[in-house]
Amino acid sequence: MLFFRSEEHVDRWCRQWNLPKGALLSLDQGWRLAQAWYGTDRREPDWRRKNVEEAEALFSELGLTSPFWDLRANPVG
Amino acid sequence: MEQTSQELDRLVRKYVYDTAMYRGYPPFLAETSTALSIPLPDVQAAFQRLADGHILVLQPENGEILMANPFSAVPTPFLVELEAFTCYGNCIWDALGIPALLAQDARIKTACGDCGTALGLSVVNGQVHGDSGVIHFALPARRWWEDIVFN
Repeated sequence: MLFFRSEEHVDRWCRQWNLPKGALLSLDQGWRLAQAWYGTDRREPDWRRKNVEEAEALFSELGLTSPFWDLRANPVG
Repeated sequence: MEQTSQELDRLVRKYVYDTAMYRGYPPFLAETSTALSIPLPDVQAAFQRLADGHILVLQPENGEILMANPFSAVPTPFLVELEAFTCYGNCIWDALGIPALLAQDARIKTACGDCGTALGLSVVNGQVHGDSGVIHFALPARRWWEDIVFN
């Protein structure tokens, strides 16, 4: 995940590397995602990775509801 | 009594994150072995199990840790300056994840992925500020671990 000056720079980067455009997040969305994802202490014995349901619920809370964030869909292409 | 693999993995994971959160980068195999008084092959096996569980990413050449997310073991374009140390995130999400994990203020220095223009962010009192820009996720969420280094 990279940071770009603007969406125009994302488009140029995708063209240059011949890659499909992915998903864009605002800085505030990225910060809230980072806080939610990394806010738990990974040193705790009971810590575990989020399961699919928990991750999807988190994405949904942040307004990330497009198929890009669907962890269960069959890969396309 | 002999430790189970699960107990060993918990111990190793705690040491990896204790170390990374103290100094900004994860420990090496040898220092983990010494610190925990665990034979090196057992530490190697624990690192591998944690990597198989998508908790660590290892360097393929030597089995050392490459990523203990959000921390990177090697320099990246995502520099994170904290009061106690300076370190590297694996991507912009992880660079934001370091102050989130540590609950500390931070300055993040990166560059536009396209043109290389320097961009700076700061996290102060739980709020993010800085140069305007957008975060681009190149791979759909279900494919992140297919190529975590690219992602």
